Amino acid sequence: MIRVLNIAFLAVTGLVCLGLYRIAEEARIAAADLKTTETAIARENESLTVLGAEWARLTQPARIQALAQHQLDLSDRPAAELASLTQLPPKNLPLAPQGTIRNANATVPQSTLRIGSPVASGTPSARLPAATFALIHTGT
Amino acid sequence: MRDRVAALSLVRGRIVLAAIFCAAAFSIVAARLVDVMVFDEGTAPSSVATAAHLLRADLVDRNGTLIARDLPVSDLYARPAAFWDTADAARELAQATGANESRLRTAFAPKRGYVLVQRGLTPDRRDAVMHFGLPGLNFEDGYRRYYPSGRIFAHAVGQVDTDDRGISGLELGLEDRLRGRHAATPIGLSLDMRVQYALEHETEEAMREFHAKAAGGIVLNVRTGEVLALASLPDYEPNSRAPQPQDSTRNRMTQDVYELGSIFKIFAFTEAVEEKTIRLDEPFEVGQPYKLGHYLIHDFERLGPVLPAAMVFAQSSNIGTAQIELRSGAAKQKPFLSKLGLLQGLRTELPEMASPLYPRHWEEVEAATIAYGHGISVNPLSFAAAAAAVINGGTLIRPTFLKRDAAQHGPRVISEETSRTMRQLLRLVVTEGTGTKADVPGYDVGGKTGTAEKAENGSYAHHLLISSFCGVFPIDDPRFLVFVMLDEPHGDKESGGFVTGGVTAAPAVGQVIARIAPLLGVRRSDTFAAAAP
Repeated sequence: MIRVLNIAFLAVTGLVCLGLYRIAEEARIAAADLKTTETAIARENESLTVLGAEWARLTQPARIQALAQHQLDLSDRPAAELASLTQLPPKNLPLAPQGTIRNANATVPQSTLRIGSPVASGTPSARLPAATFALIHTGT
Repeated sequence: MRDRVAALSLVRGRIVLAAIFCAAAFSIVAARLVDVMVFDEGTAPSSVATAAHLLRADLVDRNGTLIARDLPVSDLYARPAAFWDTADAARELAQATGANESRLRTAFAPKRGYVLVQRGLTPDRRDAVMHFGLPGLNFEDGYRRYYPSGRIFAHAVGQVDTDDRGISGLELGLEDRLRGRHAATPIGLSLDMRVQYALEHETEEAMREFHAKAAGGIVLNVRTGEVLALASLPDYEPNSRAPQPQDSTRNRMTQDVYELGSIFKIFAFTEAVEEKTIRLDEPFEVGQPYKLGHYLIHDFERLGPVLPAAMVFAQSSNIGTAQIELRSGAAKQKPFLSKLGLLQGLRTELPEMASPLYPRHWEEVEAATIAYGHGISVNPLSFAAAAAAVINGGTLIRPTFLKRDAAQHGPRVISEETSRTMRQLLRLVVTEGTGTKADVPGYDVGGKTGTAEKAENGSYAHHLLISSFCGVFPIDDPRFLVFVMLDEPHGDKESGGFVTGGVTAAPAVGQVIARIAPLLGVRRSDTFAAAAP
């Protein structure tokens, strides 16, 4: 009886040892993975920190203004030209005085406008197709 | 024989007892194993996503734009004895780190000890060093405060020392919060990057145009007390430890006190209106210099024999203002200015805050000169805070550099009615007075000009001036105060040689308001119907 018990206990002990070894090994591998992941996260966070500062440097107003003045064909607009939607005119109110509308050319000269034809460069009005020019001045 | 049987029985009993004990022990271990392996889910790791270690909290502006941050950097040391060829190593390290090659070559030549190659290497430079695979290198990791916007916020934000401790500006004033338990949480400042840039840019332009020695400006929310922008020129590069000769770390808006001149008439008139010692249409003789004891008070130019009180303010007459102030007298003027906080040191998060200078004996002459801004020196931020109380409806505010959305409800110093009258007078200065160049169509600017002579060798120098303008908009329901000051401006052909506040600082304030009003969501007062031809 005792011998049977001893053998059984030894067998259980052996199994437990194997089980423990397996768990310990899995835990070690998981810990190593965790450490790797944590290191990667820390590195990414560090990169985000640096990139955030870099972004702030690149988007500072002085740099954007210098770039815009150099690269874009834009000019400063006075604050008087800014308006909210509520400040827009009623739908039927003309945008420009009557004289301007009367003088505007609402007829598209067929000889100057060909679909798909290149527009000659030169004066600002020459750069625009005649149809566009007419639409702006009639306010339609 | 009986003894032997008894002994065997005893041994057997002990073996059984030991076996039972062992079985029980194994059972406990087995039960715990089953518990751990089958039932227990284990405890989660405390923090998988470990945040990058920060020594100081970030500083961000009111819109979340980064102003200051600790960046990971490394100091690189080299052990020259480990190099095969010190000249090659010096060349490669100089190329990767930006260090001086000849310095490295000289330092590596003896092949002894450790040599500091470069401080504050960024991660990409560190990678570049690693790319060469040189032996004998040692990196010491650390952090370095970085200010992405450079000079723009230099005076307000300040600097840290080599140990990352604040030594000036908000870096020093907020030291406890920046290094506290919640250092990982950014601190939101009241400053606005866009407004700061507009103020800095326009102030710099005015300073250049009028060849001024120095300049400065403030944008203050008159309801919440938040400082949206603070510029002081010349400024400095906070990322550099070696300041340029033309740079200045002195914050002229808080650290220096000035006799601000006629801009101070705001308080003389506020006092007179509050105490009802004048009517705005009441005439005052301003044709001749005003004699007071041994002194004669002059105007900048002859303004006519008589001016109504409102135009005394709009045309900035010293003679008229002195007469108005003397109706109240020194006994009432001093407590009134004290009530506005102009005689006490202002307390904000900025540590560099100069206390005011005012006469010990405050008699009639002092009262008259202080009425037009001479004889009392205050720092511009203190002035702005007091002016804000005059125009915001009459309640005192304490300027703050921390973001705050709700209005301050400080002690009432003047009545709402007086505040309304003063706003009308300030608007009159811009429409019909000395501050017309500050007007911005659609934004109803009010304000007051100031031109003060600087004291030199015990007397006032006519050629050394402090020109300033304090603007407020929109005047009906004021939200923001814009102050610009030029130190020793010089006239040009365009200004006709004039360097008064109305010619130098007022246009700059107008430009600032035109740029920042749309950014701050201030609506134009005029409608399309009014604007349409």
